[in-house]
Amino acid sequence: MKNRLIVSVSPHLHKDASVSKIMWMVVVSLIPAGVAGMFIFGVGALWVILLGVVSALITEWIVQLFAKRRVSVLDGSAFLTGLLLAYNLPPRVPFWLPIVGSVFAIAIGKQVFGGLGQNIFNPALAGRVFLMASWPKYMTTFTKPQNFDAITSATPLAALKEGKVLEGISNWNLFLGIRGGCIGEVCIFALLLGALFLFVRGYISWHIPVTYTVVVGLFTYIFGPRGLFSGDWLFHILSGGLILGAFFMATDYVTSPLTRCGQIIFGIGCGLLTAIIRLWGGYPEGVSYAILMMNAATPIIDRYTKSRIYGTR
Amino acid sequence: MKKYFYEFLKGIIKENPTFVLVLGLCPTLAVSVSVINGIGMGIAATFVLLGSNVIISLIKNIIPARIRIPCFIVVIATFVTITEMTMKAYSPALNRALGIYVPLIVVNCIVLGRAEAYAQRQTVLKSLFDGLGMGVGFTLALILISGIREALGSGKFLGYTLTPRYEPAFVLGLPSGALLVIGLLLGFFNVLKNRKE
Amino acid sequence: MRETIRYGFILAVICIVASGLLAGMNSLTKSRIIAQAQTEEEAALREVMPFGEYFDPIKKGEDIIYYKVRNKDGKFIGVAFKASGKGYSSVIDTLVGMTEDGTIVAIKILNQNETPGLGARVAESSFRGQFSDKNIQGLANVQAITGATISSKAVIDSVQEKAKEIQKLIKDEK
Repeated sequence: MKNRLIVSVSPHLHKDASVSKIMWMVVVSLIPAGVAGMFIFGVGALWVILLGVVSALITEWIVQLFAKRRVSVLDGSAFLTGLLLAYNLPPRVPFWLPIVGSVFAIAIGKQVFGGLGQNIFNPALAGRVFLMASWPKYMTTFTKPQNFDAITSATPLAALKEGKVLEGISNWNLFLGIRGGCIGEVCIFALLLGALFLFVRGYISWHIPVTYTVVVGLFTYIFGPRGLFSGDWLFHILSGGLILGAFFMATDYVTSPLTRCGQIIFGIGCGLLTAIIRLWGGYPEGVSYAILMMNAATPIIDRYTKSRIYGTR
Repeated sequence: MKKYFYEFLKGIIKENPTFVLVLGLCPTLAVSVSVINGIGMGIAATFVLLGSNVIISLIKNIIPARIRIPCFIVVIATFVTITEMTMKAYSPALNRALGIYVPLIVVNCIVLGRAEAYAQRQTVLKSLFDGLGMGVGFTLALILISGIREALGSGKFLGYTLTPRYEPAFVLGLPSGALLVIGLLLGFFNVLKNRKE
Repeated sequence: MRETIRYGFILAVICIVASGLLAGMNSLTKSRIIAQAQTEEEAALREVMPFGEYFDPIKKGEDIIYYKVRNKDGKFIGVAFKASGKGYSSVIDTLVGMTEDGTIVAIKILNQNETPGLGARVAESSFRGQFSDKNIQGLANVQAITGATISSKAVIDSVQEKAKEIQKLIKDEK
């Protein structure tokens, strides 16, 4: 595959790819995963997505109006944040949960830092983590797939953490998304379809997602439950929010490193943290925390990997 | 009289220890879970500040500059221990709630900071009003922070449930919630200050 | 050299004055602090053994192992004891009141520092109340708090384990 868009430090040539266009392209690439989520969990998922997106847009508009900034609601970034946040929620949450999450993500995760381009953390993940720490009961109550009577069930990762035997979930079902989980994370097939689109159009590079996924797979394979080199690496890659996180959130332009080398370091860091949290941490899933922690490390990574301007120190 | 009043007042807004001097944040983070804890901590710290400021400005002439810090610490620690004993004897509930944080007033930077920056070179009366003002400023800041945290984090105020339909955001009861609230309030006050200038 | 001695002397004087003050304060408050601790303990004991009137500490060396509880008429009605177990983020101390045949009267969480809203809910009566009137053998059907399995289990297991231990102690005595 040919790389057509290279994100690097200056000097740059002009290219016909505005921030707004990229944002909307990412939104388009996420549509299959959302549609799959709706098929798997029912119409409730659509409501969660709509609430998340609409409240993100409204919050962006209000904050920009109050802060007397240029109003840029339609540049797609707020839409994307709301969408990603909703994808990270269980399908049956009370109606105010996506609203509160979107308000937090936009107002405190993004606008407080100065708006698009200034935020340290991925806003959607900041919103998700806020919800997770605030209302853990709702954030960890998942419904069974294709079951519209709201029977709760644990996610495969949570079941693994509690030492239960996993039964009835084949890797094929995991790949198609027939399992308990968040709306947008379950259908790996749809996510990869969207990611492929972004690759082909050159909007994301392989560096972060591939190193991230490979490191998680390797690490969980090496430190398996029955001694070294016995882990179920495919299960760990296919379950939880790894694919959604690695391809769509860790690759956020604002909060990930600029250079190729920096992106590889970023991906490895995310992978290690995710695997460590999953294997030995208190939570069953660690993707959002891993990405947020590496977001915080991004300025340092950039500092040490940026190519120097000739003649300066 | 007016200048003493100024010394008192400056601790509340202009040089508020929490929001302007940004001192003593560790106890602030730790105890601001509920308003009653905040008030208790504020009163205890005010008492210590008052006592240490007065004593230090009284004995400032006999303390040699090179050993001033150990001298200050002994004075402060004495007052803290007295406070702790009094609390244990007369308000065990508060003592249990504030627990380890009361002995930690010894290292609360507000107390040592005022001794170092103010009391050791000012008159006794001025130091007294400075200590009182700083203490009240600290208490008010604690009430503000813990008020927000208690209302949103557990849906209560001073232990009374505000509305049973509210689902509290637990994160505000955690230390990370304290950082969040303090950070946003600091930013808010800076915005206000910049608008005024 | 002279300077150093002078510094030491000044510091010593300050320390002596300070310790004098503290000694005075200590003698003033000591009896009250002890009395406070006692009333608090008694209130807690009464909460887990509402019909108890006399609580006699059974000691092993300096440590209190459990309390023998007698009612108004001086009749032996049960025991009260402390159990502690490692929860999610802290050690949870529980005070338990139990009749002789191993039925729990009530429990009270004395100390815990679990996650607010999750593990900290072990102190709420909806969880705590489930223990009342249950035999220690039947604690398995105490419902754990959703999302706080570790904290709930810490309380259940520590109470059960300690209760068996105490029960054995009483039997041996007889």
